[in-house]
Amino acid sequence: MFFKSDKKSQVHGFSHLGENLRFEGEIDCKGEIEIAGKVKSNIKAKKLTILESGSVKGLVQAEDVEVLGCMVGNIESVNIYIGGKGVVRGNLRFENNLTVLEGADISGHVQKNKKEKIKRLDSDKVKYLEHNKIAS
Amino acid sequence: MPSVILKDTKFHGNIIEKDSITVDGIVVGNIKAEEIIIHQNGNITGNLTSDNNIEVGGQVTGDLSSDRIHLNNSAKVSGKLSHRNLVVDEGAQLEIGCSTRKK
Repeated sequence: MFFKSDKKSQVHGFSHLGENLRFEGEIDCKGEIEIAGKVKSNIKAKKLTILESGSVKGLVQAEDVEVLGCMVGNIESVNIYIGGKGVVRGNLRFENNLTVLEGADISGHVQKNKKEKIKRLDSDKVKYLEHNKIAS
Repeated sequence: MPSVILKDTKFHGNIIEKDSITVDGIVVGNIKAEEIIIHQNGNITGNLTSDNNIEVGGQVTGDLSSDRIHLNNSAKVSGKLSHRNLVVDEGAQLEIGCSTRKK
């Protein structure tokens, strides 16, 4: 289907879990993944899409998360998009953008993580370490 | 729509699919499906159970059970096979025990 993977070059297309698929365990995806089935697992991915027939239970960590179906568990992501038929039970943590369409069903905490804060802390640490070096 | 798992994806756990599933990634766990196709980059550690057809072009460590099993020339399989029809292409690397089911 989306199957043009050369050995050397990167993967084109995305993984797809069909409507009739059931999975329990752990998923670690370096690219895109689309879920239309029932999955009980923690998911790490670059981009995760939960389709209308899809349902996910577990912790999701990704760069982009799109929820058009059902999601139970916390989401940690840079961008989160929740469609009009999306259902989320869990906390949302995002860095850049949160989009929630009219009709979406959400219950949980919503929090924006500031990326700059983390960077500042890091640069403070570096300064501190450099200072120590000079002092010694 | 059938399921596709590409080579940048790792699964730990059991997969049950009522349709067809194509695997080009890494799966640690058992797979049950109507049709299972393992591509060249596929690496499965676990048992494969299918009603119709299993096609292997990658690495499988575990037992295979299906009506029809096709091992391609790039297949590396170690385990026990249970089948009605078995096809093995030239070049397949095998460490297997086979048993043909009665019709």
